[in-house]
Amino acid sequence: MATHCSRAAPIVPILFGLRTLSSSLNQMDELQRRIQLNAIAFAAGTTGMITVTYGFLENAGFPHLLLFSWIWIFPMLIAIWGINLPIIGWRYR
Amino acid sequence: MKNRLRVLRTERRWFQAELAEKLDVSRQTINAIETGKYSPSLPLAFQNRWSVRTAN
Repeated sequence: MATHCSRAAPIVPILFGLRTLSSSLNQMDELQRRIQLNAIAFAAGTTGMITVTYGFLENAGFPHLLLFSWIWIFPMLIAIWGINLPIIGWRYR
Repeated sequence: MKNRLRVLRTERRWFQAELAEKLDVSRQTINAIETGKYSPSLPLAFQNRWSVRTAN
């Protein structure tokens, strides 16, 4: 039981991180919120498209990726969001 | 949207950061409004007007 709890321990900082994200979004002004919205919407769409597309490709015969477990989907979303943010922000310079 | 914000701001010798602080927005927003790359929402546009006008 103790080992199971300790393996799930990273969930706690993730919850704090979500709270920080929420409060920082509330403090942002309208332009920054718009940039964040564009970035996160694009990231969500891209992540969804990649995962669903590969799901269909697996059905069509592509190899099942053993190293890609469920846990990598959220980091993929965050990574695309992070990469997209300066690209979208650059438009408003 | 074209606007005279930069002209009015430089007339009063304000920095972008100063105007941003008065309007409680980021400097990036003021720059984007001045260069015409962003059209502010109505509340911000009105706030803009008051802060620039009442500074006289």
